[in-house]
Amino acid sequence: MRIKELLLGLLLASPTVLWAQGSQVNTQGQKAVGMAGAGSALFVDETSIFYSPGALVKMDHNALSVGASAVMYRSAFRELNSTDVHHTKFKISPPFSVFATFGPKNAWWKAGLGVYTPFGGSVDWGDRWPGRYELNHLQMRAIYIQPTLSFKLTENFGIGGGFVYNVGLVDLSRSIPTASADGTPGRAELSGVGTGMGFNVGVHYNLEDDFAISLSYRSQVTTKLKDGDAKFTVPPALATSFPNTTFDAELPLPSSFNIGLTFPAGERMDIAADATFIGYSIYKELVFDYKDNTPVLEDTKQEKKYENAFSAKVGINYETSDRLDLRIGGGYVYSPVRGPYVSPETPDNNRIMGSIGFTYDINDRWDLTGAYVFQRILERTVTSVNTGLSGAYKTNIHAPGLSLTYKW
Amino acid sequence: MKRIFKNIALYIGILSTLVASSCKPEIEGFQPTSGEADFSKYIAVGNSLTAGFADGGLYLEGQQMAFPNLIAEQLREVGGRDFRSPFFAENERNGSGYLQLKELVNGQPVMEDVTDNLAYREPGKLSKHMGDIENLGVPGMRLDLSTQDWFGALNMYFERLLPDTDVGTKTYMQFATEKNHTFFSFWLGNNDVLGYAMNGAVTNEGDPTTVLTETATFEQVYRGFILALTANERKGVVATIPDVTAIPFFTTVTREALIAAVKAASGQDVQDIYIETGSDTRRAATDEDLFVLPFASAGLLGSTSTENPLPYGLHPDHPVESKYVLDDGEVTTIQARIKAFNNIIEDIAEEEDLALADAHAYLNRIQNPGIVYNGVAVNASFITGNAFSLDGVHLTPMGNALIANLFIEAINKQYSSRIPKVDASKYRGVKFP
Repeated sequence: MRIKELLLGLLLASPTVLWAQGSQVNTQGQKAVGMAGAGSALFVDETSIFYSPGALVKMDHNALSVGASAVMYRSAFRELNSTDVHHTKFKISPPFSVFATFGPKNAWWKAGLGVYTPFGGSVDWGDRWPGRYELNHLQMRAIYIQPTLSFKLTENFGIGGGFVYNVGLVDLSRSIPTASADGTPGRAELSGVGTGMGFNVGVHYNLEDDFAISLSYRSQVTTKLKDGDAKFTVPPALATSFPNTTFDAELPLPSSFNIGLTFPAGERMDIAADATFIGYSIYKELVFDYKDNTPVLEDTKQEKKYENAFSAKVGINYETSDRLDLRIGGGYVYSPVRGPYVSPETPDNNRIMGSIGFTYDINDRWDLTGAYVFQRILERTVTSVNTGLSGAYKTNIHAPGLSLTYKW
Repeated sequence: MKRIFKNIALYIGILSTLVASSCKPEIEGFQPTSGEADFSKYIAVGNSLTAGFADGGLYLEGQQMAFPNLIAEQLREVGGRDFRSPFFAENERNGSGYLQLKELVNGQPVMEDVTDNLAYREPGKLSKHMGDIENLGVPGMRLDLSTQDWFGALNMYFERLLPDTDVGTKTYMQFATEKNHTFFSFWLGNNDVLGYAMNGAVTNEGDPTTVLTETATFEQVYRGFILALTANERKGVVATIPDVTAIPFFTTVTREALIAAVKAASGQDVQDIYIETGSDTRRAATDEDLFVLPFASAGLLGSTSTENPLPYGLHPDHPVESKYVLDDGEVTTIQARIKAFNNIIEDIAEEEDLALADAHAYLNRIQNPGIVYNGVAVNASFITGNAFSLDGVHLTPMGNALIANLFIEAINKQYSSRIPKVDASKYRGVKFP
């Protein structure tokens, strides 16, 4: 007996993994987090390495800060015409940031080093939800290491730039529709580490203490994942069709262009606003290249067709006393993901953000900054062009964070 | 200053309320309702598909995954109550016995029979199941035989459900219409063509299960059965009969695959497979001729015997017997009959305001081009297509779940009900060793 190309029906579909909008929760500086991401023009401190390299040189001291957030994604999915709502498991992903500055005080230059995680997230839908054959869990993190130099061109005009080295970590799993003797499905686990490079440049201009503007550009960084591990758990009869192997993939991280403004709105109050254009249209497709191909394990290509995204944030900073600043902010983000390309790894849509924060000067040397941002990714009913999964997603993201700064 | 603090307290208050209420997002939107139908006592009338027959046998797991059982589970949300099936006992869970995949040799399947924990009380007779049931599916039940009282003695699956006094005296129609149901599903008629088609369009003498039912008989019995089930304005759902060319039983063993197999086995370059058609002519097979799945494991192709030393199927004077092949003429005849039956089903559904699940159209879509359901490719490929079990005719649990959703959609459409759909990705395709 012979049945032609029997196993072709089991062809493995492409995994969905991207540094997507959903995974971007900017938590680099807790002062900015307290203003929903606004403040690139307002805050002239060590976090300017990330937010506004041109402002770095305007610091009148040096500082080292260490911060971390506890980002909690809570996504829910309800399949079309079903009553069952599925929730992601409770996971905390801890993006961190370290910023340090070096250089003489009030000089024409300043140097800095930033280590931070601009993208990262963790979703775990488990292996019992309707989209199990698309995704079980995904954990990803991009760590940027950015040495930066900043120069004063005039007293009010600073320019700066940095080199970005990125280390990206990915770890995901999904079910495979191959039932074993006890009826349970198979499983694919993919994990890997990749690296990439890019840069960050910016200018900052201020009119005395009144008004300031910051322009900055962060380049695209393509993370090249080489020799990631692909591990398959399938019934023994299929083991040769799904060999444990390695894979290569390229994950582009988008560029962004940011404009920030700030102006005083009273003796102790400042308002800051930021607008960011994010170049997500580089996500045309995602290719996975497996080292060992079999008739069922072929290289995969999945269309993404992202569009560029835009976000607007505004915040208020209020100096209650010489020691305590309080903040509040809000923002709106337009999603780069079109409905049919929404995937459970980051069930994206437009989102609203609200935040509060504070900075307390413990003494001349030490500052403590805290912030809490809440993001609601608006409910969206989609039918995936890749899997046919049809239903409504909704996501809440909570991100409380703290940072400690030492100044000298 | 004080006011600011007060405001900040307010903001924090608002924000913490937001947080507390939104830690876990909720998604509203689907409220189940029974609409115009009463689902409190749902019965399922039908054949092997309704009974949960799979992998060439009736066994407990298949019974539990039968599409009416999956529908009944969903009906609980809209007033449905107990739905009982004639399940085999745990120690007899393998029922009639069934096929399982033993291994793949060079990617080709090798099957074996499951022979333990069977439910035979004596050869050819299964353990009786007494007590009230709502899943009335009987493997092998035909529409034309549903009015024949003697069939209860001939069909072991029906015999099993009847008290001894009713065996040979009660018809399936009587059996199915005395349950005081409020809602029914009715999917009969497949075997009225399939029994004939699976036998290569050959009617075995004295075997009523290989007869091709006449259209007039079909219409008369179908109408009579439906009128009995709809008495007192009771509602239900009926389904059309799938195309024979939509099931792997007929589409897996192709002419091309047979030629490739001969080449691989003998190294000889073979051009043609010879067949005997229904009209007793002998000719080379074309791609329009369908070979039945059991032909692949019959081991006949290329074989010789003392009566006929020519290689079987490879010489015009030793053709593949008609019972192993549906030639193009037979396919046309069978498809025309299915079309006639489906027209009758559609007409009667409309006359009686019944929901219509178009299994014919749906399974044709699965066959070509195939569907992707929540990331799973579902098609009519044997073993890997996820929809059909190892017998190439009956459904896998996933196939049953998809058919359950087809029925649910039809019911919702007809009766303005909102029965939630089944998550078919929870259910498996074929099991691999």
